[in-house]
Amino acid sequence: MTPGKMIQSLSGWLVNVSIAMTALRTNLMRSILTMLGVMIGVFAVTLAVAVGAGAQSSVIQSVNALGSNMAIIVPEPDVGGGRRAFDRGRLTMRDARAIKKQIPGVLYLAPQLRSTIQIVAAGNNTTTNAVGSTADFAPVTNSAVQTGRFIDEADERSAARVVVIGSTVAEALFGNFDPVGQTVRINRIPFTIIGLLESKGSNFGSDNDDTAIMPISTMRQRFNGDTLSGPDDLNLLFVGFEDASSLVESKISITQLLSERYNVEEKGTNPFTVRTTEEFLEQTGEITAIFQIVLVAIASISLLVGGIGIMNIMLVSVTERTREIGLRMALGAKRSDIRNQFLVEAAVLCIIGGIVGLQLASAVGYAMTTYAGFLVPIGLSVALGAIIFSACIGLVFGGYPAVRASRLSPIEALRSE
Amino acid sequence: MTQKLVETRNLVKTYVLGSETINAVNGVSLSIERGEYVAIMGTSGSGKSTFMNMIGCLDTPSSGEVLIDAIPTSDRDSDALAKLRNEKIGFVFQQFNLLARTSALDNVAVPLIYAGQPSAKRQEKSAAKLTAMGLGDRLDHTPAKLSGGQQQRVAIARALVTEPLILLADEPTGALDSRTSDDIMAIFQELNAQGITIIVVTHESEVADHAKRRIEFRDGKVIEDRMVTNRLIAKTRKDTL
Repeated sequence: MTPGKMIQSLSGWLVNVSIAMTALRTNLMRSILTMLGVMIGVFAVTLAVAVGAGAQSSVIQSVNALGSNMAIIVPEPDVGGGRRAFDRGRLTMRDARAIKKQIPGVLYLAPQLRSTIQIVAAGNNTTTNAVGSTADFAPVTNSAVQTGRFIDEADERSAARVVVIGSTVAEALFGNFDPVGQTVRINRIPFTIIGLLESKGSNFGSDNDDTAIMPISTMRQRFNGDTLSGPDDLNLLFVGFEDASSLVESKISITQLLSERYNVEEKGTNPFTVRTTEEFLEQTGEITAIFQIVLVAIASISLLVGGIGIMNIMLVSVTERTREIGLRMALGAKRSDIRNQFLVEAAVLCIIGGIVGLQLASAVGYAMTTYAGFLVPIGLSVALGAIIFSACIGLVFGGYPAVRASRLSPIEALRSE
Repeated sequence: MTQKLVETRNLVKTYVLGSETINAVNGVSLSIERGEYVAIMGTSGSGKSTFMNMIGCLDTPSSGEVLIDAIPTSDRDSDALAKLRNEKIGFVFQQFNLLARTSALDNVAVPLIYAGQPSAKRQEKSAAKLTAMGLGDRLDHTPAKLSGGQQQRVAIARALVTEPLILLADEPTGALDSRTSDDIMAIFQELNAQGITIIVVTHESEVADHAKRRIEFRDGKVIEDRMVTNRLIAKTRKDTL
């Protein structure tokens, strides 16, 4: 195509746009109502995509809040349905030490006891999930203190009555005062607060800041009233690795090591569950992807309805303007000129509807992010995608009426009333 | 030198209405030369309009051949016919057929869009034609703001804007009063004097008497083809200019 021809065809399209705009303005109310259909469709799809993307990033965030490059070992078998007590493995400190010694790449070891406790201070009281662990708990779970310090090895050796609390607990007990250095009573035993954790926010309704951490030795001495059967047993073990690359191998080695230590071959089922953070990411990723697909599929129905509305109106428009089509053909319009005129008209309707729908979705997304705390990101790619997609809707649903218009016989079109 | 601008050879157009077959045009052979001013007469149903639509390349013959400027049209596809209409034929209709809510200038410019002319050129040519039709001060008027005669003059400007060889007018005065009809007749005679070939379909004898040649149709056939004697000359349209 020569540059001259290109300019000519470009100006031809521009003419089509101006013809389309005139036609749309002539039937303003009808154009707006038709646009409304596409607008609602694009609004719904855009919001669905954004909500899905938001859920995904929120899941990633929550897995990261759990910790990274980490294997989680739970002394429970990885089977569905109810669990019987005798299926349970006995995960002990000895196992933890063996893992650190025999598995390469282990950087941190955070054995844990978990219990629900009641904390009382200055006339306030609150119930929270307590974790008994070691100094390694902080790096392995990406936790840091905002003020004060985290528990250390000395606390652990002496089973010190010290506790590090999350911001939700601090607020419940002390309001906005700095709780570090204050004395609280946990199940009537006095403890000193040595640190306040940095906030990690909440994910899917579970508050990461509603927690209290104390040395594992303290927990074992003071609150060992629960179901564990031995003095060395653990509820949970987090193992932190140097990097993520060896996580899959490490998981296999850990499973193997534990199997050997507990003669799993004989028992048949492995009483331990070993998970890595990568697996969590993958699994939750799959779930959110399905969630997103379902959401977008439902929203697409409204876009489909909008598209059918476009087709309906374009068919009406072609019928109403049959005489105009005949005239244009008499004056030299080729079939393709007529077809393009109606295609552009449908596309313009859809693009305007799409842009308005996108604006609405952005506004609602912004409101959801700001007021509901639910992340709804509408990025440039989503915006561009929405507009291109709505133009395609116009071309697809405007296609049939446009082709029908172009196939009219000039004389029959001219004769029509 | 004479030159056949429009030639038909044994032209037939057949319509099937239920079980009946009607030959709207039944074997018409004639030729119209450059510079002629022809009136095609006949009662309604005589086949004159069907004939006109076929020589205007708006309708395709059932059999026979139409040649425009010595070019056969039967083997042309719809795009080629569109180009031919655009370049060689200007149409004027009884009901004007102007685009509503569109300025006179933009109405006249429509054929130039399909001729692929750039915007500036379209404006310039359209304005010139409208001015020649005495509407230079009404370029931005929409049809609703123009009288019937003015609307028909816009339509004539539109027909002429691509500098066609032939002007085809189908009952051009059918919707106009007699005084305005005279204006249009004067314009046609002036255009013919400038060399444009004019073919007018009409059932009014008075309109036909402004032409140089008159062809009468009945039942799809030409029953009379003669030169006009005592030709009427319309008053010059100085008052409307």
